[in-house]
Amino acid sequence: MHFRELRRMSNLKDILIRIDVNGKAVKLKVKPYQTLLTILRDELELTGAKLGCGTGECGACTVIMDGKAVHSCLILAAQADGRKITTIEGISEGPKLHPLQEAFVKHGAIQCGFCTPGMILTAKAFLDEHEGPPTEKEIKEAFSGNICRCTGYVKILEAVLAVAKSTKKEDEL
Amino acid sequence: MNLSKLYKPIVSKIGEDIKMDGHANNRVMKKLFRPKQYFRPRTITEAATLLAKFGNLARPIAGGTDLLVSRPSDVKYIIDITRLPMDYIKKGEDGLRIGALTTFRNVETSEILKKEGYGILAEAACKMGSMPIRNVATVGGNICRALPSSELCPALAALDAKVKMVGFTGERTVPLEKLFVDVGKSVLKMGELLTEICLPTTPPHSGTAFLKIGRVAEDLSIVNAATRVTLDKEGGCKDVRIIVGGGIGPILIRAKRAEALFKAKKIGHSIIERAAQLASKDCCPRATSIRGSAFYKMQLSEVLVKRVLKHALQRAKENVQLERYINKN
Repeated sequence: MHFRELRRMSNLKDILIRIDVNGKAVKLKVKPYQTLLTILRDELELTGAKLGCGTGECGACTVIMDGKAVHSCLILAAQADGRKITTIEGISEGPKLHPLQEAFVKHGAIQCGFCTPGMILTAKAFLDEHEGPPTEKEIKEAFSGNICRCTGYVKILEAVLAVAKSTKKEDEL
Repeated sequence: MNLSKLYKPIVSKIGEDIKMDGHANNRVMKKLFRPKQYFRPRTITEAATLLAKFGNLARPIAGGTDLLVSRPSDVKYIIDITRLPMDYIKKGEDGLRIGALTTFRNVETSEILKKEGYGILAEAACKMGSMPIRNVATVGGNICRALPSSELCPALAALDAKVKMVGFTGERTVPLEKLFVDVGKSVLKMGELLTEICLPTTPPHSGTAFLKIGRVAEDLSIVNAATRVTLDKEGGCKDVRIIVGGGIGPILIRAKRAEALFKAKKIGHSIIERAAQLASKDCCPRATSIRGSAFYKMQLSEVLVKRVLKHALQRAKENVQLERYINKN
């Protein structure tokens, strides 16, 4: 490593953070400039969240933090201290898939799969927060932060609508 | 003041990254974003002290949706202000107070704002970015970024908002319109922290409206317009505020010449059309505009101002009727 790099690294103050990732308490030492996405992928090897644009516009890095969908490329790891993070790896129960994951498979909403973790987590956060059955327009607005290059979005919308209909109907009963 | 003189042109060559005249776009990134220390102050005094101590080398971070995109290489100290007690929407006797750390999502979904006549803020906030961005982005951060293409700032200016800033030397309150001096520059001094937005009580018989046009949902505004129309009991115009934002100048445009047309008159179709034309003439988009040609933006601003004036007038009339109904019963 370059000498200047080494000297710079020695000035860095590492930060100890405690986060709850998919139900498990994790203690990590992070650098001030590392993002939540970096530590999820590199330190915790949860590679479901993807680095797409790195500027919060594509949504491939979406995770759920304290119940809200967020772009993990725009959150410093140090800021996630004390928070509860849910990644795509955490929504299934063992071999049993989450209803959203099943719907995406059933409706053909996955092609290359790069946007899929972000799409599913955005859907989960939206449906968990939304009271009553959502309209198509509301779902589309909720997904304005997730881009898909392959599918043209139609099947994704169908999958989310199907899950919304079945879960919201159960709530009413 | 000739605003177009302040507004630097965009110099670009085909094949090269877009460079702003005077400073290179950070995405050409020769130097990395490598702060060496992270602080998390627990009080506003601690935060202000840290910012004053490190000066230019420190940046506060709240939502991070601007800082982690621009990733300036000269930042050495990050001051995380998210745990400060500035996340609230409170109703006081003299109006409404919104803490600088309130997220866009909280503004969008707040029942207090809609009930107390500040619904334009919810209307504007839901047009910013996307849901995950709005879940962390803060109103204070958006104001301090001082971009004229902000959605929230025109809406706040339409409501005659003031902002409170706290620094080492004390506290001061500035009207939002006087806060911006250039693209990305405000009168916020080194070491100062924006803590609160103060909104006066909504005058009775008022209607507000906001419209934004962007290329896609999460894009910045090409042009946006916000207005508040206040009627008197007879239905004539008591007060009107018209603000145009987007890529239309270095700072928000307050269309004062357009507003002057409304003094104490009954608002009709022709006044609205003339006002929209005057408001559009106040805009000065760059010839080197990225998101649309200057010509397009001038046309668009006229259309948007006309539409928001019509919406706001309709809502003001409904409020007058509603109050008459309430007073009768």
